[in-house]
Amino acid sequence: MSFLLTCPNCGPRNIYEFRFGGEVKTRPDENTVSAEDWADYVYLSKNVCGVQKEWWYHAKGCGTWFAVERDTRDNLPVVKEENEG
Amino acid sequence: MTPRLPESPTQRISRENELLFFYRGKPFKGLEGDTIATALYSNGVRIFSRSMKYHRPRGLYNLDGYSSHCLVTVDGEPNVRGCATPLRQGMWVTPQNVLGSPRWDLMGLMQFFSFAMPVGFYYKAFHKPSWVWPFAQAVIRRAAGLGRIDPEMPEGVYQNRYYNCEVCIIGGGLAGMEAALAAAEGGVRVILLERRDHLGGDLAYRVTRSNEGIPPYRRAAMLAEAVSACENVTVLLCTSATAIYQSNHVTAVKRGGAGDPYRETYLEVRARSVVVATGAIERPLLFSNNDLPGIMQGSCAHRLARVYGIKPGNRMVVSGCHDGMLEMAADLAELGIEIVAVADGRSSGFDTELISNLHRKGIPFLPGTMARKAIGFKRLKGVQLAPTFGNGRKRWYSCDVLAASAGEAPLSQLLQVAGAKMAYDSAAGQFLPGEFPPGIHAAGKVTAARGEETIAAQGKLAGLMALQDLGLGRTSHIRQVREILDVIEKRPAGRHWTAPPVGSRKCFLCFDEDVTTDQVRDAIDQGFDQSELVKRYTAVGTGPSQSYLSGTNLPLLLADQRGLEPGAVLPTTVRPPVFPTSLAALGGRRYTSSKRTPLHEKQAQLGACFRLTGVWERAGSFADAGLSQEVENVRKNVGFIDVSTLGKFRLFGRDAVKLLNRVYAGNMETVTEGRLKYAAMCNEQGVIIDDGVVTRMGESDYFFTTSSLRAGNTLEWLAFHSKEEDWEAHLVNLTDAMAAVNLAGPRSREVLARLVDADCSNEVFPYMAVRRMKLCGEVDALVMRVGFVGELSFEIHVPASYGAALQDALLDAGKPYCIRPFGLDAQSVLRLEKGHVIIGTDTDNHSTLHDIGLSWAWDRKKAGNQTVGAPALRFTETQKHRQKLVGFTMNEAFRTPSDGSIVVADGTVKGRVTSSRFSPTLGRSIGLALVDPDLAVMGGTLEFYTDGRLNRKGLPEIKTFRGTIVPVPFYDPEGKRLRG
Ligand SMILES: [Zn+2]
Repeated sequence: MSFLLTCPNCGPRNIYEFRFGGEVKTRPDENTVSAEDWADYVYLSKNVCGVQKEWWYHAKGCGTWFAVERDTRDNLPVVKEENEG
Repeated sequence: MTPRLPESPTQRISRENELLFFYRGKPFKGLEGDTIATALYSNGVRIFSRSMKYHRPRGLYNLDGYSSHCLVTVDGEPNVRGCATPLRQGMWVTPQNVLGSPRWDLMGLMQFFSFAMPVGFYYKAFHKPSWVWPFAQAVIRRAAGLGRIDPEMPEGVYQNRYYNCEVCIIGGGLAGMEAALAAAEGGVRVILLERRDHLGGDLAYRVTRSNEGIPPYRRAAMLAEAVSACENVTVLLCTSATAIYQSNHVTAVKRGGAGDPYRETYLEVRARSVVVATGAIERPLLFSNNDLPGIMQGSCAHRLARVYGIKPGNRMVVSGCHDGMLEMAADLAELGIEIVAVADGRSSGFDTELISNLHRKGIPFLPGTMARKAIGFKRLKGVQLAPTFGNGRKRWYSCDVLAASAGEAPLSQLLQVAGAKMAYDSAAGQFLPGEFPPGIHAAGKVTAARGEETIAAQGKLAGLMALQDLGLGRTSHIRQVREILDVIEKRPAGRHWTAPPVGSRKCFLCFDEDVTTDQVRDAIDQGFDQSELVKRYTAVGTGPSQSYLSGTNLPLLLADQRGLEPGAVLPTTVRPPVFPTSLAALGGRRYTSSKRTPLHEKQAQLGACFRLTGVWERAGSFADAGLSQEVENVRKNVGFIDVSTLGKFRLFGRDAVKLLNRVYAGNMETVTEGRLKYAAMCNEQGVIIDDGVVTRMGESDYFFTTSSLRAGNTLEWLAFHSKEEDWEAHLVNLTDAMAAVNLAGPRSREVLARLVDADCSNEVFPYMAVRRMKLCGEVDALVMRVGFVGELSFEIHVPASYGAALQDALLDAGKPYCIRPFGLDAQSVLRLEKGHVIIGTDTDNHSTLHDIGLSWAWDRKKAGNQTVGAPALRFTETQKHRQKLVGFTMNEAFRTPSDGSIVVADGTVKGRVTSSRFSPTLGRSIGLALVDPDLAVMGGTLEFYTDGRLNRKGLPEIKTFRGTIVPVPFYDPEGKRLRG
């Protein structure tokens, strides 16, 4: 298992240089969240078969965190359609 | 050593450089350029090993490391491929899987009982009653082993290498070299991997010219020269690719040879386009006793003679199914080897030029004929040739070598792991790879291409296609090559598949696992009728040669036996690595890299004994003092410790305080200039992950410290939370830019006062205050009055370049006060006496602030943004089942349980000791333990089980100690000393 990831600073780099930071989620309000919802937020991932948005950290590189879309089926860069903007 | 053949330009041995080596303890001579196997062969060794199950004698079969016949133990390393390992001076070579010698193997009798040993015999015969199995297993392991590991084996040096390039070409034969040259024209970086120690593939040892061209070996040399002359082509020899992964990621292993200090190198090549030109391998011909020593692949016989100058034998029979065999037979006759007969399983599709060559030399050529039976006991004595189809005339020929093959099979394993699908091509008579993933191309014999010109054009085309992947392709060039390919005459290959003769015995489909065609028939009868099923039932293709030798024959045999068309049964799935890789090579070199503090040299001058903690080398203790002296001096006088390893950060920007509030449990709005605030960091589970002090340096400008081992993680953690909210907060890692020393003890104020001209009194510079000061009138320092070891203490931060000078100044100023350095060991004791928690030692992945008595560090009412650990801290606050951190003193003052000892109550484990030390200050052992809540009662007794001395069996005796839970801190509970 090995693929390339494009760092916004450094361009396409070997995946070994990065650390996975989990799926991009919305942090619940700390004052109103229930224990169950908090546990879901902390522990559960969608883990879709397809394109998902994730956090990655260029640990052995420039030290940048970035959110990026990845296709979990082939790990190839997600090509956006022109009209999506 | 028997004399070699006369010199020829294809040879790769150096006759001047004799190498001495040992085989079975006796000295032998080989030549530089030999492999272990060829050196043994030239010394008359014909039996190399015994087979795994029946202990049948096995000789040289293949020269590329694809067969298990020549596995030997070299200098203690088992399973070395003798045929692919260069001979070195002084090698100590021993045969494997043998009791006695390979020639007189005492287990050789096994083969006469083979009728009683069907597939799974060992498992079926010995599994009942169950008590038999452990004994049987020990004997079987001996009988069916694959070498032994020598624990005394010297450790080799291995490494990992990572390459990047645009085009990676696998295989340095004709197609690969043409592809490399074509791709190099595009000016891109090309890497060429070749498994042999030279370029050229089969061209390198062939001399027979086709169509008035130049001899193949000359062509190979010229191409190799052209490739080497390309500055943008990197050639890696002795390198076998092991897999192609996603995004054209090629992995390979490189065997070390002369001039390479590494025994093996694991390498990864990241390419944008890959050309696979791995060629083909001869697949074994199926006939009775097809494993006798003396039976080898045609290319093996050819290379023995042409590359190593060794006569394969005196009388040779050839039974082949492809043109290479015809060429080899004529060429070997040229070298003076008597070719008794040449059989070819095909009835058509030959290269007529090669046949007339044979005729000219008077060699009988028998089309539509093949080897059906071999005889001999330990060596081949004769071969029976008979028509491929039908019951024609059978003829016996006496010989000592038989070159036998059922045709070529593509070395498509890499393409298969890359995702290509295999399908049977009846024209080629082979399973061929197709449907390549993007960016992967194939050229040469791996696509069943035949003829030099076709292969060369295919290679060129693949190189151009690779350039096209990069957007550099020139369609006109591609069209030109395609036209050339179209013009080349395509000869039919002739009918290839040849099933084993009816009634054949001891006809081996898989040499490694001693699987015969009879056993495959039995497997089919028992319902195992697909390749994958037969593989799992009979273990065919699971040995050292994997599917290289049996991979094509298995599905063809299955189809034949089931009365289906060839290709109706597909080969087994290939999985990486397709070439064996040693774990040591994957592990690579063992680097111990560590960081040293700016005070390192100075500390060493004081006798520091360093040890590695995290990334840092830190002084554990100082040679001239005992641990208690170091501790007592801090409590009585003054000591100093190098704390440059602390994480030190500046955080500034509009949203700096928001970020601090997000990651720290406390309220960071209350941090003011000139004051320090203790701050604890939690993760989403409310578990403490770091702590340190924070101070404000100016408007939206903060300085904070982290524990020594957390600096890297903290950087990542803060950067994430800042990015997630898109805050404007800039983090500067000052860890390596600043040196820091903690000056601690009742006399520390006096020492500091001698270095600065500022007022250090308790009124002006109280506990938890921070001041900018000038040291010795010139060095800018940040001085923090912190608790640390529970005494009056000052943490002095200076630019790293002043670290060494700081120590000198402290030693000088502290001389009248008996200053001495202390190390980590003393620090642990001092901090434990104060009940300070070491995160990660006294806490684990479950310890929340509440569990370790730090609830006060959480401000539940702070307004504004969200705190990472807050919800979990709220939820865990009232949970009753949580383990608590408690302090204890030992009931027997001088007993100390080792860290990690379990706490036992009512026969169950109820917790563990996290730290325990003898306290010189208190005169007894103290410690911290994480225990179940029902035990966490003040005054309660804890029972520790700890490892004692080793008993006669070499097992530690369990000792039981007792301690009593007491309030923490153990020392100066009111904190008068650190505030004084
Ligand atoms: Zn980067």
